Amino acid sequence: MDKKIKVIPCSGIGKVFGLLARESVLKTVLELCPEKSETICLAYIVSGDEAVNEKIAKTRCITVDGCPKMCASKNVALAGGIVIEEIKVLDTVKEHKGKNFGSATHLDADGEVVVNEIAEKIAIIINEIN
Amino acid sequence: MSELKVGVLSCSGEECLGGTISRLATRKILEELKFVKTVTLCLPLYLAGGEEERNFAKVFPTISVDGCDKLCAKRSTEKYSGKISGSIDVSKIIGIENALNTKIIRNKDLKDEHLEMVDKVASEIVKEIGRISPDSYSGKSFGGCGCGSE
Repeated sequence: MDKKIKVIPCSGIGKVFGLLARESVLKTVLELCPEKSETICLAYIVSGDEAVNEKIAKTRCITVDGCPKMCASKNVALAGGIVIEEIKVLDTVKEHKGKNFGSATHLDADGEVVVNEIAEKIAIIINEIN
Repeated sequence: MSELKVGVLSCSGEECLGGTISRLATRKILEELKFVKTVTLCLPLYLAGGEEERNFAKVFPTISVDGCDKLCAKRSTEKYSGKISGSIDVSKIIGIENALNTKIIRNKDLKDEHLEMVDKVASEIVKEIGRISPDSYSGKSFGGCGCGSE
């Protein structure tokens, strides 16, 4: 089994929550836990290519979703990945009521705060596992 | 009166700069294009959503925007939804080396040169939209997804 935990966001394109998911995951895999985690393009997983299915099958994954449709979690599970943790952006956003996080294109300072908090949560999970 | 709408679908790939550029260029089109109304859909909704999401490319003439030559948005749309009306391969516009950059992916790390790439890709999307016959523009309604991408 590949030791690196796969961390996969929805990257939803319609609202800021998708960008929060995306940036949180990128902060985790590029800055906080580059040795222990990596991401895979969700669009590649959606494509159903044999190569990506082989890469993700039976692999431990953390998904990060921006809306209740849970696209990342559902697609990873469909591809055979083992979803060990489902992170919901809205759970963290709820703790910052009334703040302006930015848009689906650009994060404001409060959005970066949420990104840092979610990324820290993911990093704790990864470090507990590995 | 029904509005004319074109679908623009980005791969938004997380592994490399090309995905970030595809996402930002698509956002730019959604926010700034004036001559035709554009709509989008989160690509993973083809599997995580329902029939309405899978009908996206049947309802709207759709342009796919992919960050690399795997062309995930194009292939997935044609696999799950319907024939696309045009496609953009970002790696052909900004170069493969740039598109496959795995170090600079986060929005906050983008420099002026990357924002210029976004503009360049956005203008190619506009050209691609311009190639669609106005007769195929959709005036149909679409409920959109949970993230409110319409």
